[in-house]
Amino acid sequence: MGSILLLLPLMMTPSDTLTQAVLQKLLPTSVHEWNFAEPSRVYTGREIFKYMDGAGEVYLAYGFQRLLVQRYVHPNQEEILVEIFDMGLPRNAYGAFTNMQGRGPAVEIGQNGEYKSGLLTFWKGRHFVCVMIDRENDDAKRAVLEMGAMISEAIKEEGAIPGILQYLPIGEFSPESLRYFFRNEILNIHFYVADKNLFHLGDKTDAVLVRMKSNRSYLMLVQYDRSGNAQAAYEDFSTHYMPEAHGSGIVQTESGKWSACRKERNFLTAVFDAPTQSEAQKLLDTVQRRLR
Amino acid sequence: MSDSTMTRRDFLRTTTAAAVVGTVAMPLFAGQSSGKKAKVILIRHQNVVDNDWKVDKAIIAQMLDDAMVSLFDVKSAEEAWKKVVKPGDVVGIKTNVWRYLRTPLELEEEMKRRIMAVGVEEKNMSIDDRGVLSNPVFARATAVINVRPMRAHNWSGVGGCLKNYIMFTPSPPDYHPDSCVDLGAIWKLPAIAGKTRLNILLMLTPQFHCMGPHHFDKEYTWLYKGMLVSTDPVAVDAVGLKIIEAQRAIYFKEPTPMRPPVRHIAAAEEKHGVGIANPKNIDLVKLGWKEESLI
Repeated sequence: MGSILLLLPLMMTPSDTLTQAVLQKLLPTSVHEWNFAEPSRVYTGREIFKYMDGAGEVYLAYGFQRLLVQRYVHPNQEEILVEIFDMGLPRNAYGAFTNMQGRGPAVEIGQNGEYKSGLLTFWKGRHFVCVMIDRENDDAKRAVLEMGAMISEAIKEEGAIPGILQYLPIGEFSPESLRYFFRNEILNIHFYVADKNLFHLGDKTDAVLVRMKSNRSYLMLVQYDRSGNAQAAYEDFSTHYMPEAHGSGIVQTESGKWSACRKERNFLTAVFDAPTQSEAQKLLDTVQRRLR
Repeated sequence: MSDSTMTRRDFLRTTTAAAVVGTVAMPLFAGQSSGKKAKVILIRHQNVVDNDWKVDKAIIAQMLDDAMVSLFDVKSAEEAWKKVVKPGDVVGIKTNVWRYLRTPLELEEEMKRRIMAVGVEEKNMSIDDRGVLSNPVFARATAVINVRPMRAHNWSGVGGCLKNYIMFTPSPPDYHPDSCVDLGAIWKLPAIAGKTRLNILLMLTPQFHCMGPHHFDKEYTWLYKGMLVSTDPVAVDAVGLKIIEAQRAIYFKEPTPMRPPVRHIAAAEEKHGVGIANPKNIDLVKLGWKEESLI
Protein backbone atom coordinates (compact mmCIF):
# COMPACT_ATOMS: atom_id res chain seq x y z
CA MET A 1 0.00 0.00 0.00
CA GLY A 2 1.32 3.43 -0.78
CA SER A 3 2.66 5.41 2.14
CA ILE A 4 0.31 8.28 1.49
CA LEU A 5 -3.37 7.51 1.52
CA LEU A 6 -5.24 9.67 -0.92
CA LEU A 7 -8.79 9.23 0.14
CA LEU A 8 -11.56 8.81 -2.34
CA PRO A 9 -15.21 9.48 -1.63
CA LEU A 10 -17.59 6.54 -1.94
CA MET A 11 -19.75 7.78 -4.76
CA MET A 12 -18.11 8.43 -8.09
CA THR A 13 -19.30 8.83 -11.63
CA PRO A 14 -17.46 6.78 -14.24
CA SER A 15 -15.65 8.95 -16.71
CA ASP A 16 -15.57 8.44 -20.45
CA THR A 17 -13.65 5.56 -21.93
CA LEU A 18 -10.22 6.54 -23.15
CA THR A 19 -9.73 6.40 -26.89
CA GLN A 20 -7.36 3.96 -28.55
CA ALA A 21 -5.15 6.87 -29.50
CA VAL A 22 -4.83 8.00 -25.90
CA LEU A 23 -3.93 4.49 -24.74
CA GLN A 24 -1.56 4.04 -27.67
CA LYS A 25 0.43 7.08 -26.59
CA LEU A 26 1.33 5.31 -23.37
CA LEU A 27 3.31 2.67 -25.25
CA PRO A 28 7.01 2.99 -26.00
CA THR A 29 7.76 2.21 -29.62
CA SER A 30 10.71 0.07 -28.60
CA VAL A 31 12.78 -0.99 -25.63
CA HIS A 32 16.33 -2.07 -26.41
CA GLU A 33 15.78 -4.39 -29.39
CA TRP A 34 12.13 -5.15 -28.70
CA ASN A 35 9.86 -3.55 -31.29
CA PHE A 36 6.17 -3.62 -32.19
CA ALA A 37 5.27 -7.03 -33.58
CA GLU A 38 1.97 -5.94 -35.09
CA PRO A 39 -0.54 -3.13 -34.69
CA SER A 40 -2.15 -2.80 -31.28
CA ARG A 41 -5.44 -4.52 -30.68
CA VAL A 42 -8.24 -2.94 -28.70
CA TYR A 43 -11.16 -4.52 -26.89
CA THR A 44 -13.97 -2.45 -25.45
CA GLY A 45 -16.47 -3.57 -22.81
CA ARG A 46 -17.66 -7.13 -23.35
CA GLU A 47 -15.37 -7.49 -26.35
CA ILE A 48 -12.83 -8.50 -23.71
CA PHE A 49 -14.19 -12.03 -24.09
CA LYS A 50 -12.69 -12.13 -27.57
CA TYR A 51 -9.32 -11.80 -25.90
CA MET A 52 -9.82 -13.81 -22.72
CA ASP A 53 -12.63 -16.09 -21.63
CA GLY A 54 -13.87 -16.29 -18.05
CA ALA A 55 -11.00 -14.18 -16.78
CA GLY A 56 -12.61 -11.22 -18.52
CA GLU A 57 -15.38 -11.33 -15.93
CA VAL A 58 -12.91 -10.26 -13.26
CA TYR A 59 -12.10 -7.05 -15.11
CA LEU A 60 -15.76 -6.39 -15.91
CA ALA A 61 -16.54 -6.79 -12.20
CA TYR A 62 -14.11 -3.95 -11.61
CA GLY A 63 -15.70 -1.64 -14.16
CA PHE A 64 -13.42 -2.41 -17.12
CA GLN A 65 -13.77 -0.02 -20.05
CA ARG A 66 -11.15 -0.76 -22.70
CA LEU A 67 -8.05 -2.92 -23.20
CA LEU A 68 -5.08 -2.17 -25.43
CA VAL A 69 -2.87 -5.16 -26.27
CA GLN A 70 0.56 -4.75 -27.82
CA ARG A 71 3.16 -7.40 -28.59
CA TYR A 72 6.84 -6.63 -28.88
CA VAL A 73 9.30 -8.94 -30.62
CA HIS A 74 13.05 -9.30 -30.45
CA PRO A 75 15.10 -11.30 -32.96
CA ASN A 76 16.60 -13.62 -30.34
CA GLN A 77 14.40 -13.19 -27.32
CA GLU A 78 11.07 -13.77 -25.67
CA GLU A 79 8.09 -11.84 -26.97
CA ILE A 80 6.86 -9.18 -24.55
CA LEU A 81 3.13 -8.76 -24.18
CA VAL A 82 1.72 -5.51 -22.86
CA GLU A 83 -1.88 -5.09 -21.70
CA ILE A 84 -3.12 -1.66 -20.67
CA PHE A 85 -6.57 -1.73 -19.09
CA ASP A 86 -8.54 1.49 -18.93
CA MET A 87 -10.59 0.73 -15.83
CA GLY A 88 -12.57 3.98 -15.97
CA LEU A 89 -11.79 5.06 -12.41
CA PRO A 90 -8.75 4.85 -10.15
CA ARG A 91 -10.68 2.79 -7.59
CA ASN A 92 -11.36 0.19 -10.30
CA ALA A 93 -7.71 0.06 -11.32
CA TYR A 94 -6.66 -0.21 -7.69
CA GLY A 95 -9.17 -3.02 -7.17
CA ALA A 96 -7.95 -4.94 -10.22
CA PHE A 97 -4.43 -4.67 -8.83
CA THR A 98 -5.38 -5.83 -5.34
CA ASN A 99 -7.34 -8.73 -6.81
CA MET A 100 -4.06 -10.40 -7.65
CA GLN A 101 -1.59 -8.75 -5.30
CA GLY A 102 0.61 -10.93 -3.16
CA ARG A 103 1.97 -12.92 -6.11
CA GLY A 104 5.48 -11.68 -5.62
CA PRO A 105 7.78 -8.89 -4.50
CA ALA A 106 6.73 -5.26 -4.81
CA VAL A 107 8.44 -3.06 -7.41
CA GLU A 108 8.45 0.70 -7.58
CA ILE A 109 6.49 0.99 -10.79
CA GLY A 110 3.12 2.71 -10.93
CA GLN A 111 1.37 3.51 -7.67
CA ASN A 112 1.79 -0.09 -6.59
CA GLY A 113 3.53 -2.78 -8.61
CA GLU A 114 4.60 -6.40 -8.35
CA TYR A 115 6.86 -8.60 -10.44
CA LYS A 116 7.15 -12.36 -10.38
CA SER A 117 7.99 -15.09 -12.90
CA GLY A 118 7.91 -12.84 -15.94
CA LEU A 119 4.73 -10.94 -15.06
CA LEU A 120 4.76 -7.29 -14.00
CA THR A 121 1.49 -5.82 -12.78
CA PHE A 122 0.90 -2.27 -11.61
CA TRP A 123 -1.79 0.38 -11.38
CA LYS A 124 -1.64 4.10 -11.85
CA GLY A 125 -4.52 6.52 -12.17
CA ARG A 126 -7.34 4.72 -13.95
CA HIS A 127 -4.97 2.23 -15.57
CA PHE A 128 -4.13 -1.32 -14.64
CA VAL A 129 -1.15 -2.62 -16.60
CA CYS A 130 0.38 -6.05 -17.21
CA VAL A 131 3.71 -6.56 -18.95
CA MET A 132 4.77 -10.17 -19.38
CA ILE A 133 7.02 -12.75 -20.93
CA ASP A 134 6.41 -16.49 -21.07
CA ARG A 135 9.86 -17.70 -20.10
CA GLU A 136 11.86 -15.49 -17.81
CA ASN A 137 15.51 -14.63 -18.39
CA ASP A 138 17.62 -11.75 -17.10
CA ASP A 139 17.57 -9.63 -20.26
CA ALA A 140 13.87 -10.08 -20.88
CA LYS A 141 13.06 -9.39 -17.23
CA ARG A 142 15.05 -6.17 -17.40
CA ALA A 143 13.17 -5.16 -20.55
CA VAL A 144 9.80 -5.93 -18.93
CA LEU A 145 10.60 -3.75 -15.93
CA GLU A 146 11.96 -0.98 -18.10
CA MET A 147 8.93 -1.08 -20.36
CA GLY A 148 6.64 -0.97 -17.33
CA ALA A 149 8.48 2.04 -15.95
CA MET A 150 8.15 3.84 -19.30
CA ILE A 151 4.41 3.19 -19.44
CA SER A 152 4.04 4.34 -15.85
CA GLU A 153 5.97 7.51 -16.66
CA ALA A 154 3.67 8.17 -19.62
CA ILE A 155 0.59 7.96 -17.39
CA LYS A 156 0.55 11.45 -15.91
CA GLU A 157 -2.30 11.29 -13.44
CA GLU A 158 -2.30 9.46 -10.14
CA GLY A 159 -5.42 8.00 -8.52
CA ALA A 160 -6.76 8.10 -5.01
CA ILE A 161 -6.75 5.00 -2.85
CA PRO A 162 -10.29 4.24 -1.65
CA GLY A 163 -11.11 5.98 1.62
CA ILE A 164 -12.51 2.84 3.25
CA LEU A 165 -8.95 1.64 3.81
CA GLN A 166 -8.41 4.23 6.55
CA TYR A 167 -10.70 2.26 8.87
CA LEU A 168 -8.64 -0.91 8.72
CA PRO A 169 -6.35 -1.68 11.67
CA ILE A 170 -3.11 -0.86 9.90
CA GLY A 171 -0.24 -3.12 10.90
CA GLU A 172 -2.50 -5.90 12.13
CA PHE A 173 -3.29 -7.48 8.76
CA SER A 174 -1.08 -8.89 6.01
CA PRO A 175 -0.82 -6.10 3.41
CA GLU A 176 -0.51 -8.57 0.53
CA SER A 177 -3.86 -10.11 1.51
CA LEU A 178 -5.79 -6.88 0.95
CA ARG A 179 -8.53 -7.10 -1.67
CA TYR A 180 -10.59 -4.08 -2.57
CA PHE A 181 -13.83 -4.69 -4.47
CA PHE A 182 -17.49 -3.87 -4.77
CA ARG A 183 -18.98 -6.98 -6.36
CA ASN A 184 -20.01 -10.25 -4.72
CA GLU A 185 -18.29 -12.27 -7.44
CA ILE A 186 -14.92 -10.92 -6.39
CA LEU A 187 -15.62 -11.52 -2.70
CA ASN A 188 -16.44 -15.12 -3.52
CA ILE A 189 -13.15 -15.61 -5.35
CA HIS A 190 -11.18 -14.63 -2.28
CA PHE A 191 -13.52 -15.77 0.47
CA TYR A 192 -16.62 -17.66 -0.49
CA VAL A 193 -19.57 -16.46 1.60
CA ALA A 194 -22.68 -17.45 -0.34
CA ASP A 195 -24.03 -17.86 -3.84
CA LYS A 196 -26.43 -14.99 -3.13
CA ASN A 197 -25.24 -11.44 -2.60
CA LEU A 198 -25.93 -11.39 1.16
CA PHE A 199 -23.92 -8.20 1.73
CA HIS A 200 -25.80 -6.37 -1.05
CA LEU A 201 -22.51 -5.45 -2.74
CA GLY A 202 -22.73 -3.31 -5.85
CA ASP A 203 -21.50 -0.19 -7.57
CA LYS A 204 -22.70 1.96 -4.64
CA THR A 205 -20.70 0.02 -2.06
CA ASP A 206 -17.02 -0.17 -1.22
CA ALA A 207 -15.59 -3.30 0.34
CA VAL A 208 -12.23 -4.46 1.54
CA LEU A 209 -11.12 -7.89 2.74
CA VAL A 210 -7.91 -8.60 4.65
CA ARG A 211 -6.42 -11.51 6.55
CA MET A 212 -5.20 -10.84 10.06
CA LYS A 213 -1.60 -11.57 11.00
CA SER A 214 -2.22 -12.79 14.54
CA ASN A 215 -4.84 -15.50 14.06
CA ARG A 216 -5.35 -15.78 10.26
CA SER A 217 -8.99 -14.72 10.53
CA TYR A 218 -10.60 -12.67 7.76
CA LEU A 219 -11.86 -9.14 8.26
CA MET A 220 -14.24 -7.55 5.79
CA LEU A 221 -15.49 -3.99 5.90
CA VAL A 222 -18.29 -2.74 3.67
CA GLN A 223 -19.34 0.88 3.24
CA TYR A 224 -22.86 1.64 2.00
CA ASP A 225 -24.26 4.87 0.67
CA ARG A 226 -26.87 4.99 3.43
CA SER A 227 -27.23 3.55 6.93
CA GLY A 228 -30.53 1.93 5.94
CA ASN A 229 -28.82 -0.06 3.21
CA ALA A 230 -26.20 -1.25 5.69
CA GLN A 231 -29.00 -2.36 8.02
CA ALA A 232 -30.78 -4.26 5.23
CA ALA A 233 -27.57 -6.07 4.33
CA TYR A 234 -26.90 -6.87 7.99
CA GLU A 235 -30.33 -8.43 8.34
CA ASP A 236 -29.96 -10.44 5.14
CA PHE A 237 -26.54 -11.74 6.12
CA SER A 238 -27.67 -12.57 9.67
CA THR A 239 -30.78 -14.36 8.50
CA HIS A 240 -29.05 -16.55 5.93
CA TYR A 241 -25.56 -17.04 7.34
CA MET A 242 -26.16 -17.22 11.09
CA PRO A 243 -29.87 -17.91 11.66
CA GLU A 244 -29.22 -19.55 15.04
CA ALA A 245 -27.55 -16.36 16.29
CA HIS A 246 -31.02 -14.74 16.51
CA GLY A 247 -29.66 -11.31 15.73
CA SER A 248 -26.69 -11.42 18.11
CA GLY A 249 -24.36 -11.18 15.13
CA ILE A 250 -21.96 -13.90 16.26
CA VAL A 251 -21.91 -17.65 15.76
CA GLN A 252 -19.58 -20.63 15.96
CA THR A 253 -19.59 -22.31 12.56
CA GLU A 254 -19.14 -25.93 11.55
CA SER A 255 -15.37 -25.47 11.34
CA GLY A 256 -15.31 -24.70 15.07
CA LYS A 257 -14.30 -21.12 14.29
CA TRP A 258 -16.31 -17.96 14.85
CA SER A 259 -18.03 -15.60 12.44
CA ALA A 260 -19.36 -12.24 13.51
CA CYS A 261 -20.94 -9.17 11.98
CA ARG A 262 -21.76 -5.68 13.26
CA LYS A 263 -23.29 -2.51 11.81
CA GLU A 264 -21.95 0.92 12.64
CA ARG A 265 -23.36 3.97 10.83
CA ASN A 266 -23.33 3.08 7.12
CA PHE A 267 -20.71 0.35 7.57
CA LEU A 268 -20.82 -3.38 8.13
CA THR A 269 -17.87 -5.18 9.64
CA ALA A 270 -17.65 -8.96 9.33
CA VAL A 271 -15.14 -11.36 10.83
CA PHE A 272 -14.72 -14.91 9.55
CA ASP A 273 -12.74 -17.83 10.92
CA ALA A 274 -11.73 -16.26 14.23
CA PRO A 275 -10.37 -18.95 16.57
CA THR A 276 -12.45 -17.78 19.55
CA GLN A 277 -15.56 -15.76 20.25
CA SER A 278 -13.59 -13.14 22.14
CA GLU A 279 -11.09 -12.69 19.27
CA ALA A 280 -13.96 -12.16 16.83
CA GLN A 281 -15.56 -9.58 19.10
CA LYS A 282 -12.26 -7.86 19.81
CA LEU A 283 -11.66 -7.36 16.10
CA LEU A 284 -15.14 -5.94 15.63
CA ASP A 285 -14.50 -3.58 18.55
CA THR A 286 -11.23 -2.42 17.01
CA VAL A 287 -12.85 -1.50 13.73
CA GLN A 288 -15.85 0.06 15.46
CA ARG A 289 -13.55 2.43 17.36
CA ARG A 290 -11.95 3.50 14.10
CA LEU A 291 -15.36 4.12 12.56
CA ARG A 292 -16.48 6.40 15.39
CA MET B 1 -33.59 -13.25 -1.15
CA SER B 2 -34.48 -16.89 -1.73
CA ASP B 3 -34.29 -19.41 1.10
CA SER B 4 -32.24 -21.69 -1.13
CA THR B 5 -29.11 -19.68 -0.46
CA MET B 6 -25.94 -21.80 -0.48
CA THR B 7 -23.43 -20.48 2.03
CA ARG B 8 -19.91 -21.25 3.11
CA ARG B 9 -21.40 -23.09 6.07
CA ASP B 10 -23.12 -25.54 3.72
CA PHE B 11 -19.68 -26.38 2.34
CA LEU B 12 -18.37 -26.85 5.85
CA ARG B 13 -21.22 -29.19 6.77
CA THR B 14 -20.53 -31.35 3.71
CA THR B 15 -16.80 -31.59 4.24
CA THR B 16 -17.07 -32.09 7.98
CA ALA B 17 -19.57 -34.91 7.56
CA ALA B 18 -17.36 -36.57 4.96
CA ALA B 19 -14.35 -36.33 7.23
CA VAL B 20 -16.28 -37.93 10.08
CA VAL B 21 -17.21 -41.00 8.04
CA GLY B 22 -13.75 -41.19 6.53
CA THR B 23 -14.75 -40.74 2.93
CA VAL B 24 -13.34 -38.41 0.35
CA ALA B 25 -15.17 -35.12 0.61
CA MET B 26 -16.81 -33.59 -2.42
CA PRO B 27 -17.78 -30.04 -1.60
CA LEU B 28 -21.21 -29.06 -2.75
CA PHE B 29 -22.12 -32.63 -3.61
CA ALA B 30 -24.96 -33.80 -1.48
CA GLY B 31 -26.39 -36.48 -3.77
CA GLN B 32 -26.62 -40.14 -2.85
CA SER B 33 -25.59 -43.08 -4.98
CA SER B 34 -27.79 -43.12 -8.08
CA GLY B 35 -26.83 -46.60 -9.19
CA LYS B 36 -25.03 -45.30 -12.27
CA LYS B 37 -21.29 -45.85 -12.28
CA ALA B 38 -18.41 -44.26 -14.09
CA LYS B 39 -15.03 -45.84 -14.73
CA VAL B 40 -11.95 -43.65 -14.64
CA ILE B 41 -8.41 -44.74 -15.38
CA LEU B 42 -5.59 -42.90 -13.65
CA ILE B 43 -2.27 -43.75 -15.23
CA ARG B 44 1.08 -42.27 -14.25
CA HIS B 45 4.68 -42.75 -15.36
CA GLN B 46 7.71 -41.35 -13.58
CA ASN B 47 9.48 -40.41 -16.84
CA VAL B 48 6.64 -39.16 -19.04
CA VAL B 49 7.71 -35.57 -18.53
CA ASP B 50 11.05 -34.17 -17.37
CA ASN B 51 11.82 -31.19 -15.16
CA ASP B 52 11.70 -28.89 -18.22
CA TRP B 53 8.27 -30.28 -19.05
CA LYS B 54 9.55 -32.06 -22.14
CA VAL B 55 7.18 -34.91 -22.91
CA ASP B 56 8.52 -38.36 -23.78
CA LYS B 57 6.57 -39.32 -26.88
CA ALA B 58 7.00 -43.08 -26.52
CA ILE B 59 5.99 -43.11 -22.87
CA ILE B 60 2.90 -40.97 -23.30
CA ALA B 61 1.83 -43.16 -26.21
CA GLN B 62 2.24 -46.26 -24.05
CA MET B 63 0.33 -44.64 -21.20
CA LEU B 64 -2.54 -43.87 -23.55
CA ASP B 65 -2.55 -47.43 -24.87
CA ASP B 66 -2.53 -48.94 -21.39
CA ALA B 67 -5.30 -46.65 -20.22
CA MET B 68 -7.47 -47.46 -23.23
CA VAL B 69 -7.03 -51.21 -22.79
CA SER B 70 -8.03 -50.95 -19.15
CA LEU B 71 -10.91 -48.56 -19.73
CA PHE B 72 -12.55 -50.72 -22.37
CA ASP B 73 -11.45 -53.98 -20.79
CA VAL B 74 -9.96 -55.35 -24.02
CA LYS B 75 -6.69 -57.02 -24.98
CA SER B 76 -5.11 -54.37 -27.21
CA ALA B 77 -5.10 -50.65 -27.85
CA GLU B 78 -6.27 -51.30 -31.42
CA GLU B 79 -9.30 -53.08 -30.09
CA ALA B 80 -9.99 -50.27 -27.63
CA TRP B 81 -9.88 -47.56 -30.28
CA LYS B 82 -12.32 -49.56 -32.39
CA LYS B 83 -14.77 -49.10 -29.55
CA VAL B 84 -14.26 -45.35 -29.69
CA VAL B 85 -14.50 -44.64 -33.42
CA LYS B 86 -15.55 -46.43 -36.60
CA PRO B 87 -13.94 -46.07 -40.04
CA GLY B 88 -16.87 -44.00 -41.29
CA ASP B 89 -16.75 -41.50 -38.46
CA VAL B 90 -15.83 -37.85 -38.85
CA VAL B 91 -13.70 -37.15 -35.80
CA GLY B 92 -12.96 -33.89 -34.02
CA ILE B 93 -10.35 -33.80 -31.31
CA LYS B 94 -11.15 -30.90 -29.01
CA THR B 95 -7.79 -29.92 -27.62
CA ASN B 96 -6.62 -26.98 -25.55
CA VAL B 97 -3.92 -24.59 -26.71
CA TRP B 98 -3.55 -22.26 -23.72
CA ARG B 99 0.04 -21.25 -24.23
CA TYR B 100 1.26 -21.91 -20.71
CA LEU B 101 -0.23 -25.36 -20.34
CA ARG B 102 -1.41 -26.83 -23.59
CA THR B 103 -2.25 -30.37 -24.64
CA PRO B 104 1.10 -31.83 -25.73
CA LEU B 105 1.51 -32.13 -29.49
CA GLU B 106 3.02 -35.58 -28.92
CA LEU B 107 -0.27 -36.79 -27.50
CA GLU B 108 -2.34 -35.16 -30.23
CA GLU B 109 -0.21 -36.89 -32.86
CA GLU B 110 -0.55 -40.25 -31.14
CA MET B 111 -4.30 -39.94 -30.91
CA LYS B 112 -4.48 -39.05 -34.58
CA ARG B 113 -2.33 -42.03 -35.45
CA ARG B 114 -4.53 -44.38 -33.43
CA ILE B 115 -7.73 -43.03 -34.94
CA MET B 116 -6.39 -43.30 -38.49
CA ALA B 117 -5.31 -46.86 -37.72
CA VAL B 118 -8.97 -47.70 -37.16
CA GLY B 119 -9.70 -46.56 -40.71
CA VAL B 120 -10.83 -42.95 -40.28
CA GLU B 121 -9.60 -40.92 -43.26
CA GLU B 122 -7.31 -37.99 -42.52
CA LYS B 123 -9.65 -35.60 -44.31
CA ASN B 124 -12.30 -36.64 -41.82
CA MET B 125 -10.25 -35.65 -38.79
CA SER B 126 -9.38 -32.36 -37.21
CA ILE B 127 -7.69 -31.15 -34.04
CA ASP B 128 -8.90 -27.75 -32.89
CA ASP B 129 -9.60 -25.59 -29.87
CA ARG B 130 -10.76 -22.02 -30.34
CA GLY B 131 -11.93 -22.54 -33.91
CA VAL B 132 -14.24 -25.50 -33.42
CA LEU B 133 -17.39 -23.58 -34.34
CA SER B 134 -15.99 -22.53 -37.71
CA ASN B 135 -14.13 -25.75 -38.40
CA PRO B 136 -15.82 -27.67 -41.26
CA VAL B 137 -14.72 -31.06 -39.93
CA PHE B 138 -16.18 -30.30 -36.51
CA ALA B 139 -19.34 -29.07 -38.22
CA ARG B 140 -19.94 -32.54 -39.65
CA ALA B 141 -18.29 -34.49 -36.83
CA THR B 142 -19.98 -37.69 -35.74
CA ALA B 143 -17.48 -38.30 -32.93
CA VAL B 144 -15.58 -35.96 -30.66
CA ILE B 145 -12.65 -36.70 -28.38
CA ASN B 146 -11.98 -34.27 -25.57
CA VAL B 147 -8.44 -33.76 -24.30
CA ARG B 148 -6.87 -31.06 -22.17
CA PRO B 149 -4.72 -30.38 -19.09
CA MET B 150 -6.23 -29.71 -15.66
CA ARG B 151 -5.67 -26.32 -14.05
CA ALA B 152 -6.97 -23.94 -11.48
CA HIS B 153 -9.12 -21.17 -12.91
CA ASN B 154 -9.80 -17.73 -11.48
CA TRP B 155 -13.48 -17.72 -12.40
CA SER B 156 -14.68 -21.34 -12.51
CA GLY B 157 -12.38 -22.79 -9.85
CA VAL B 158 -10.84 -25.30 -12.24
CA GLY B 159 -10.67 -25.82 -15.96
CA GLY B 160 -11.05 -29.46 -16.94
CA CYS B 161 -12.86 -31.57 -19.51
CA LEU B 162 -16.24 -29.97 -18.82
CA LYS B 163 -14.95 -26.46 -19.33
CA ASN B 164 -13.05 -27.45 -22.47
CA TYR B 165 -16.32 -27.42 -24.40
CA ILE B 166 -17.05 -23.74 -23.79
CA MET B 167 -15.74 -23.10 -27.29
CA PHE B 168 -18.76 -24.95 -28.67
CA THR B 169 -21.02 -22.07 -27.72
CA PRO B 170 -21.04 -18.85 -29.73
CA SER B 171 -21.50 -16.95 -26.49
CA PRO B 172 -19.17 -18.26 -23.75
CA PRO B 173 -20.07 -15.43 -21.33
CA ASP B 174 -23.57 -16.91 -21.09
CA TYR B 175 -22.00 -19.69 -19.03
CA HIS B 176 -19.94 -17.49 -16.72
CA PRO B 177 -22.53 -16.67 -14.01
CA ASP B 178 -22.14 -18.21 -10.57
CA SER B 179 -18.61 -19.47 -11.14
CA CYS B 180 -19.62 -21.15 -14.43
CA VAL B 181 -21.96 -23.49 -12.55
CA ASP B 182 -23.85 -24.43 -15.72
CA LEU B 183 -20.97 -25.57 -17.91
CA GLY B 184 -22.68 -28.96 -18.07
CA ALA B 185 -25.45 -27.40 -20.15
CA ILE B 186 -23.01 -26.86 -23.01
CA TRP B 187 -22.81 -30.58 -23.44
CA LYS B 188 -26.43 -30.61 -24.59
CA LEU B 189 -25.97 -28.03 -27.34
CA PRO B 190 -26.81 -29.43 -30.80
CA ALA B 191 -23.23 -28.92 -32.01
CA ILE B 192 -21.91 -31.40 -29.50
CA ALA B 193 -24.71 -33.36 -27.82
CA GLY B 194 -24.13 -37.11 -27.78
CA LYS B 195 -20.95 -37.01 -29.83
CA THR B 196 -18.26 -37.32 -27.17
CA ARG B 197 -16.64 -40.74 -27.13
CA LEU B 198 -13.63 -40.19 -24.88
CA ASN B 199 -12.33 -37.70 -22.30
CA ILE B 200 -8.68 -37.34 -21.38
CA LEU B 201 -7.78 -35.02 -18.53
CA LEU B 202 -4.05 -34.50 -18.49
CA MET B 203 -2.40 -34.37 -15.09
CA LEU B 204 1.19 -34.23 -16.28
CA THR B 205 1.97 -30.82 -14.75
CA PRO B 206 -1.34 -29.64 -13.29
CA GLN B 207 -1.77 -26.14 -11.96
CA PHE B 208 -3.30 -26.26 -8.49
CA HIS B 209 -3.60 -22.57 -7.65
CA CYS B 210 -3.87 -19.23 -9.38
CA MET B 211 -3.97 -15.59 -8.42
CA GLY B 212 -5.81 -13.28 -10.73
CA PRO B 213 -6.85 -13.51 -14.35
CA HIS B 214 -3.25 -13.92 -15.53
CA HIS B 215 -3.24 -17.11 -13.67
CA PHE B 216 -0.20 -19.04 -14.74
CA ASP B 217 2.63 -19.41 -12.31
CA LYS B 218 4.93 -22.40 -12.53
CA GLU B 219 5.30 -22.28 -8.76
CA TYR B 220 1.72 -23.51 -8.56
CA THR B 221 2.27 -26.54 -10.77
CA TRP B 222 3.84 -29.86 -9.93
CA LEU B 223 5.11 -32.90 -11.77
CA TYR B 224 2.26 -35.31 -11.14
CA LYS B 225 2.99 -37.15 -14.41
CA GLY B 226 -0.44 -38.63 -14.88
CA MET B 227 -3.51 -38.67 -17.07
CA LEU B 228 -7.15 -39.51 -16.39
CA VAL B 229 -9.14 -41.30 -19.07
CA SER B 230 -12.85 -42.02 -19.14
CA THR B 231 -15.92 -41.90 -21.31
CA ASP B 232 -17.41 -39.70 -18.57
CA PRO B 233 -16.28 -36.03 -18.60
CA VAL B 234 -17.73 -35.30 -15.17
CA ALA B 235 -15.98 -38.23 -13.52
CA VAL B 236 -12.52 -37.31 -14.84
CA ASP B 237 -12.99 -33.74 -13.63
CA ALA B 238 -14.21 -34.94 -10.23
CA VAL B 239 -11.16 -37.15 -9.77
CA GLY B 240 -8.81 -34.48 -11.10
CA LEU B 241 -10.26 -31.98 -8.64
CA LYS B 242 -9.62 -34.30 -5.71
CA ILE B 243 -5.98 -34.63 -6.73
CA ILE B 244 -5.59 -30.87 -7.05
CA GLU B 245 -7.24 -30.29 -3.68
CA ALA B 246 -4.87 -32.78 -2.09
CA GLN B 247 -1.89 -30.98 -3.58
CA ARG B 248 -3.20 -27.64 -2.29
CA ALA B 249 -3.41 -29.02 1.23
CA ILE B 250 0.22 -30.14 0.96
CA TYR B 251 1.46 -26.88 -0.53
CA PHE B 252 -0.44 -24.54 1.77
CA LYS B 253 -0.02 -26.82 4.80
CA GLU B 254 -3.74 -26.64 5.59
CA PRO B 255 -6.95 -27.55 3.74
CA THR B 256 -7.31 -24.73 1.23
CA PRO B 257 -10.52 -24.86 -0.80
CA MET B 258 -10.41 -23.88 -4.45
CA ARG B 259 -11.05 -20.19 -5.00
CA PRO B 260 -13.68 -19.75 -6.21
CA PRO B 261 -15.32 -23.00 -5.15
CA VAL B 262 -15.85 -25.50 -7.96
CA ARG B 263 -19.57 -25.81 -8.47
CA HIS B 264 -19.88 -26.89 -12.09
CA ILE B 265 -18.71 -30.47 -11.61
CA ALA B 266 -21.38 -31.47 -9.11
CA ALA B 267 -23.97 -29.47 -11.07
CA ALA B 268 -23.04 -31.34 -14.24
CA GLU B 269 -24.39 -34.48 -12.59
CA GLU B 270 -27.14 -33.15 -10.35
CA LYS B 271 -28.59 -30.50 -12.64
CA HIS B 272 -27.52 -31.41 -16.17
CA GLY B 273 -27.14 -35.16 -16.00
CA VAL B 274 -24.05 -35.37 -18.20
CA GLY B 275 -22.02 -37.70 -16.01
CA ILE B 276 -21.04 -38.86 -12.55
CA ALA B 277 -19.48 -36.52 -10.00
CA ASN B 278 -20.19 -38.43 -6.82
CA PRO B 279 -16.98 -40.26 -5.85
CA LYS B 280 -19.03 -43.10 -4.43
CA ASN B 281 -20.08 -43.92 -7.95
CA ILE B 282 -16.71 -43.64 -9.63
CA ASP B 283 -14.63 -46.78 -10.09
CA LEU B 284 -11.09 -45.49 -10.11
CA VAL B 285 -8.49 -47.81 -11.64
CA LYS B 286 -4.92 -46.79 -10.87
CA LEU B 287 -2.14 -47.89 -13.22
CA GLY B 288 1.59 -47.26 -13.34
CA TRP B 289 3.63 -45.12 -10.96
CA LYS B 290 2.00 -45.08 -7.53
CA GLU B 291 4.15 -42.72 -5.46
CA GLU B 292 2.36 -39.64 -4.17
CA SER B 293 -0.74 -40.33 -6.21
CA LEU B 294 -2.73 -38.25 -3.68
CA ILE B 295 -5.90 -40.26 -4.21
